[in-house]
Parts: sequence; C-alpha cells; structure tokens
Amino acid sequence: MDLPSLNPQIHSYASKMAHNDEQDRETKRFHYPLDPNSYQILQEIGRGCSAIVYKALCTTTSTVVAIKSIDLDRSTTDDFENIRREAKTMSLLSHPNVLKAHCSFTVASRLWVVMPFMSAGSLQSIITSSFPNGISENCISIILKETLMGLRYLHDQGHLHRDIKAGNILMDSNGSIKLADFGVSAFVYESSSRCLMLKEITGTPYWMAPEVIHSHNGYSYKADIWSFGITALELAHGRPPLSHLPFSESLAMKITKGIRFSHYQKEEEKVLKNTKLSKYFKDMVGLCLNQDPLKRPTAEKLLKHYFFKNSKGCDFLVKNLLQGLPSVERRFKESKFERVGSMSKEQMEDDNDEEVEDFLLGNNVKKIRRISGWNFNVEACELDPVFPVGDTSYRSKSLDEGQHMNANPQKDVFAKQITFGGESVISETRGELDGNKESLPNVVTNDGGGGEEEVDIVGGSSGVDREVVVGSLMSLKRSLDDQKEKVVYMLSMVGAEETICSGGEHDSSEDSLMQMIEKLRLELDNEKRKRSSLEMELEFLKLHITSNSDV
Amino acid sequence: MKGLFKSKPKTPVDLVRQTRDLLIYVDNNPDSRESKREDKFAALSKLLRELKQILYGNSEAEPVSEACAQLTQEFFKENTLRLVIVCLPKLNLEARKDATQIVANLQRQQVQSRLIACDYLEANIDLMDILASGYENPDMALHYGAMLRECIRHQSVARYVLESEHMKKFFDFIQLPNFDIAADAAATFKELLTRHKSTVAEFLSKNYDWFFAEYNSKLLESPNYITRRQAIKLLGDMLLDRSNSAVMTRYASSRDNLRILMNLLRESSKSIQIEAFHVFKLFAANQNKPADIVGILVANRSKLLRLFADFKPDKEDEQFEADKAQVVREIAGLEPRDN
Repeated sequence: MDLPSLNPQIHSYASKMAHNDEQDRETKRFHYPLDPNSYQILQEIGRGCSAIVYKALCTTTSTVVAIKSIDLDRSTTDDFENIRREAKTMSLLSHPNVLKAHCSFTVASRLWVVMPFMSAGSLQSIITSSFPNGISENCISIILKETLMGLRYLHDQGHLHRDIKAGNILMDSNGSIKLADFGVSAFVYESSSRCLMLKEITGTPYWMAPEVIHSHNGYSYKADIWSFGITALELAHGRPPLSHLPFSESLAMKITKGIRFSHYQKEEEKVLKNTKLSKYFKDMVGLCLNQDPLKRPTAEKLLKHYFFKNSKGCDFLVKNLLQGLPSVERRFKESKFERVGSMSKEQMEDDNDEEVEDFLLGNNVKKIRRISGWNFNVEACELDPVFPVGDTSYRSKSLDEGQHMNANPQKDVFAKQITFGGESVISETRGELDGNKESLPNVVTNDGGGGEEEVDIVGGSSGVDREVVVGSLMSLKRSLDDQKEKVVYMLSMVGAEETICSGGEHDSSEDSLMQMIEKLRLELDNEKRKRSSLEMELEFLKLHITSNSDV
Repeated sequence: MKGLFKSKPKTPVDLVRQTRDLLIYVDNNPDSRESKREDKFAALSKLLRELKQILYGNSEAEPVSEACAQLTQEFFKENTLRLVIVCLPKLNLEARKDATQIVANLQRQQVQSRLIACDYLEANIDLMDILASGYENPDMALHYGAMLRECIRHQSVARYVLESEHMKKFFDFIQLPNFDIAADAAATFKELLTRHKSTVAEFLSKNYDWFFAEYNSKLLESPNYITRRQAIKLLGDMLLDRSNSAVMTRYASSRDNLRILMNLLRESSKSIQIEAFHVFKLFAANQNKPADIVGILVANRSKLLRLFADFKPDKEDEQFEADKAQVVREIAGLEPRDN
C-alpha cells in the first residue's frame, strides 16, 4: 500500500532535481560544440522545402540530438530576418514544454540548429502511423495539457506560436511533450505597434482562426487558442475538422457563395455531436472555437478547464501511445515512397503546398503533404479540396473556406484571400521554372545527395537509388489510380460539369504526365524565346560597339 | 503584514522604487550564501514581471499610457537603468528577459512628449560601453544586444557608438560562431549604419579609410557565406542611400573595390551575385570613371557581358532588368582610354 503513494514522491523529487539542473543551465549557455565535425549524422528524419532534419550524435557530449539544417541560400532577406528571430527565440526560451535549441551555427551556406532529439516524433506522425482514427481522450488530455503549459509560457513571454497543430507537438520516449517549430512565431514585443496585433498571415490553413484568414484587424494570442482547439479535434479524429464533413456537404458549402460562418460552425457542432467524445472535451473545444477571439479563453484560463483536471502523468502516454510504435526513422522511411510520389505530383499541379516551415523535427513530411490536399487518397478523402477554381486545388480550398466563413463576402475580401494564396506560394516555391525542370520524382534523392555531402553523413543512402525511384513511381501510380476513383465518385455525386475540368486533371497518370511534359515544353519554348531575344540584344550591342568604335 | 500589503495595490511609482531598492541590495551584496538573498531575487523577478506588464499589457488588457508615463518618469529620475544593466548578469533567465523588454520599451515612452530615456542615456553614455561589450559574453549577448539596438534609436546615442572603439569590434562580432549572437550583432551593425542618415553619412566620410578597408577584407572577402551575403546586402543599402552619395562616388572609383565586387559577381550563390550586381552597377554607371576602372571593365568586357546575358533574379524584377540593360550598354560602349 505504501508503494503507490511513494512512487509519485520519488518521481516528483527526481523531476525537481532535473528541473534544478535545468535552472543552472538556463542562465549559462549549455556547451554544445559549434563545429559540424563534432556531430555524426545518423539519419534523415524529416524534410521540407529548404530544410532537412537529421538525427545525429554529438560526439563530444555523447548525446543524441536533432539537427535542422536550413539552406540559407534559398531564403530571401526577409526569411533571413525570420530565421534570425527564430534562432534567438529558441535559444532564450526555457520551459519543459517548449523545444529549445542547444545552439546554432553556419556550415557553408546552411544553418544548423541543434536541438534535443524527441525520439517519438510529432503527434501527427504518431497518429498517421498508428492511430488513424484518433487517440483516446485520456491521452489527449495529457498531451493538450502539456501543450497548453508550453503555450501559456510562450504567451507570457510575448510570443505567438502561430502554427499550433499536432505536427508541431513533439514527444519524447519518456512521454514528455514539447511544443516546437517557431519558424513562423512572431514576437509581439518587437513589433512597433503597442497593441499586440499582427497583420501578417502565416500558419497552416486548416488550423487557422477566421480572423487570421481574414486578417482585417490583425490577430493576437487568441488565434493560437483557436488553432489549439482545432488541434484537439485533430488528435481526437486523426485529422483536422473540416475533413469530417461528408464531402458532398462540404462541396455544397464551398460552392454556395456567401455562406455564413455560423454554418461552418454548425457543421462543426454536428461533428462534435456525432462522436463519442466527452462533454468536457466538447465544451473545451467549443470555447477555443468561439468565432469571437475576445470570447475565447486565454491559455491560463483554459488550463483550469475541467477537461484537464484529472489528466494523468506522461507515463500513461508511454504505455498507451508509444508501445509498438515504429521509430521516427522508420516512420520517415516508410513515408518516403509516398513522399516522393506526392512531391512530383505537386509539381505537376504547379501547386507546391504552403509548408516551407513544416520540416520540423520528427515531423514526417508525408502527413503534411497529405493534409495539404493532394494526398487525399488516404482516408481523408471527404475533405478533399478539389474544386472548380483552376488547378491550385488546395489553395482554392482555403480561399473558399475563407469566403464561407466570412459573413458578407465582398469583393475586397476575395482579393485579400487571393493575395494570401499568392504570398504563400511565393514563399514556398522559389523559382517555379527551376523547380519544375529539376523536380521530377527523383528530386528527393538528388537533393539528399547534395545535403549529405556537406553533412558528411554516415551510412546514408546518397545518390539515386533505383529501387526507391521505382517504388515511389509505383506508389505514385497507385495513388493516382486511387484519386481517379475518388474523382469519378465525386463526379457521380455532384453531377456538375464544373468539376469536370478539375476532375480531368486527375484522370490518369498518363494524362498527368502528358500535362507535365506539355508544361515543360512550354517553358522550354519560353526559355528559347528569351534566349533568342537576349541574343538579339547582344547582336545589337555588338553593332553598337562597332559603330561606336568607327566613330 | 502580508495581508496589509495585499490590500493596497501598488502604483507604478511604488513598483519602480521597490525594484530600485532591491537592485541596490543585489548590487551591494555579492555574497550569494544567504537565503535572504534568494528571497530578494524572487521578489525582484516578480517586480520586473509586473513592470513589464504595465508597459506591455497582457493577453487580457492593453497598457495604460498614464501608468506607463509615471513608470518611465520614476525610472529615469534616479539611476535605475544603470542598476538594471549592471545587475543583469546576476538575474535568472526569465528576469533577464523581462528586464530587457522593459529597457527596450522605455526607449519609446514619452513623458510630456519628450523621450526622457534619451536625456538619461546622454548623461550616462558609458552604459553603451557595457551593452556593446555584451557581445563578448555569450550568456549576456542577446540581452545586452537587444537593449543596445533599442538605445541606438536615439541619434545621439547611435553617434556615440559609431564613433567609439566598439565599432571596430563589430567586424568580429558578426562572425562569432554562435549564429544567434552573430546574427544579433549583424542586426545591430546594420541599424547603426542605416538608421540615422546624416550621422551615418558623416561617420562614413570621416572614417572612410579604415572602415572600408575592414569592410572589404573582413566582411566582403570573408570565408563565411553568411558574412559575405549580409555584408554585400548592407553595402548596397548604404551606398545606394542618397545621403551617402559622396561616399558612394568615392567607393565606386577604386579599382580594389571593383576587383572585390567582380569576385562576388562570380560567386556560386545567386543571392550574393544579385546583391553584388546592385553595387557593381554603381561602378559601371559612374559617369566619371577613372581610367583604371575603365581599363578593368574593358579588359573583362566579354566575360561580363556573357555573365549578364543569363543573369536574372528568381522573381521577375523590372527594375533589375532595366538596371542590367543600362549596365550592359555602359560596358559595351566603353572605350579604352590609353594615351
């Protein structure tokens, strides 16, 4: 009888010790070497447009770390400012639920950010790999409570996270939870306005609060609370909420112009009713998803919500989530096939997703792509953003969503939405021309080779692996077939001609390839034309020179 | 006793006074054994947090300008700022961050439409020496650096730092191995060299020789990619500023400078190439090119024209195209001026 009561004490004592340790460390810089040769790259565990995340061994401290390697040459001056801010943020934060950087330094044109390795990876990747229909409420309660403590700390410090979602919540093998990725986090104290409002748009559309999408009035801490609510639903269902609307309904919702936000919310409520979730959970999420930011609770207040009252300890997560879970590395590898497929497909659609920032640690890219809309061949089909508006299916989805949530969609609102899409597109695809030319399916392996050279990788697979390419092409074909099936189904459901144009796009893999070839050909022509005009110019200049020297 | 204190809400002035008293205590009692000291530190951290909340508001409430003004006035009435800066290394991380944010905010607070922080700093300008030296201490660099950047919003303070010996050290600070510190130093360096136009112009023309010698050899020719990239961008920003036109003309007349720029044009990094072009164009567009500059340009004419033929930024940029066309015209039309 004594034992159970003793255990927690021992536990809390131990954690106190750990905390003291941390406190000693917090005012002094913890000395991780600032030299790439002191790190032995073990494995790639994540990848985004301009960054790769590795698992690595720090040989001087004998600790396993995660290294985010960011290609600075691909970032603009503005990105640069963000990177500086992120580095600063990450080295000045100190909270058990917030991921901190050990150190950061440059290696040629790449920036290495050395961070603790969170061996269980992101909640998103855990869900994708083992809990496609969501995780239990007991676990959710623990995860969200820990996340909320991290969020409260960030808000206290004057930081907005701006991209809260399961993909940014990381877990360690001992069940501890950390909030990660400050790629988009803003520091409100640094902006010159005193009103703590930000006007830029960042984040990932599904999780975005309406005021963020509309961005008339700027947004503040409460936007994070909205995203937190969406994340709660994501954990409970295995995907963010809009995906639960039967697609015909969501489609109807998107086609009808001028639908009010309340409709969206009604659907949301319906979803809540349909599930077996507790009333506390629903109440908590309801508070977060209040349309009026002022009525949403602060992180501080939310922590006192009954839903978090009886949260168990992190051990519970170890027992219930981590048992039998494949390792982060394996999950990343397994996702590779699909990833290669999805990348090339995206390029075909000329619709790179918005996720520059989303390469974070332990977060496998596959899920990002899936959510970004192309990979709806997985169970998230209903959510599918395929839509009559041109070929940027994903964008059009978020555009439309914005429209619907708006009470009175006016022209200027629509214009704003478009800029929003445009801005993100710019930030993610540097030089679409180049991208398209080089980015046939083997782009990943190619890229990897380049990255690994600099990193002096150990036992990595560099160069083009035929098997991988064939595998990914096969998976590409499979998912294209899958998509076709779904599009046909959708067409039969809707029966509207307008979808045919977007449906045609997914008709078959051959068609898509043909389209891409056509596109590349056009580009080639374009280049040729430019070249010839430059040659003309050169000729002209030569003439000019000779005529000048004649004088 | 406790109850008594609680019933009375503290005014901003009270909070500043108590903070000052505690800082004086911390400053005068370096003996860290006492448990009493722990309490004082805890109280100090709490006070700093409260001061910060008055200045910034919190997630529930916006700051009240009257309270901010009272706080600011009391803060600068005595030597509180010096105490905060001197005691900062003794505080824990959270208190350091709060203090940094307070100091930053105070630089912008007006009392009867005067920036009294500026008056204080002018009278205590040696504080800038402490802040600037902060970059030498990895534990303090980001805090002192952030404070320094806010203080140089005041022109007179910026002039002091520009003309001080610290300016030379920045060439090393921005290449420190810790990226976060180096980047912070670079941000401060840029602020110093771009914010107050007339002061910068005066500084650059007075210190032209050593400054650009250092700038070229340490920054533009640095083996460090980031350093080169940031330096070439900043150089463009400085030289293209109207107020620095005299300096620009001088810079664009030197063959050594031209040689460095031409090397940067050959970099494999597109970003550096593009930024280098924006400086290179000044050499080409200069209507009174010295003979040696013309000589170099003529000697490299075909290489340059070939380079520019397929030279363009990732994004369409009309201005860039126009500049390029002009540079190409200039170079193509050059005559070697022998004799």
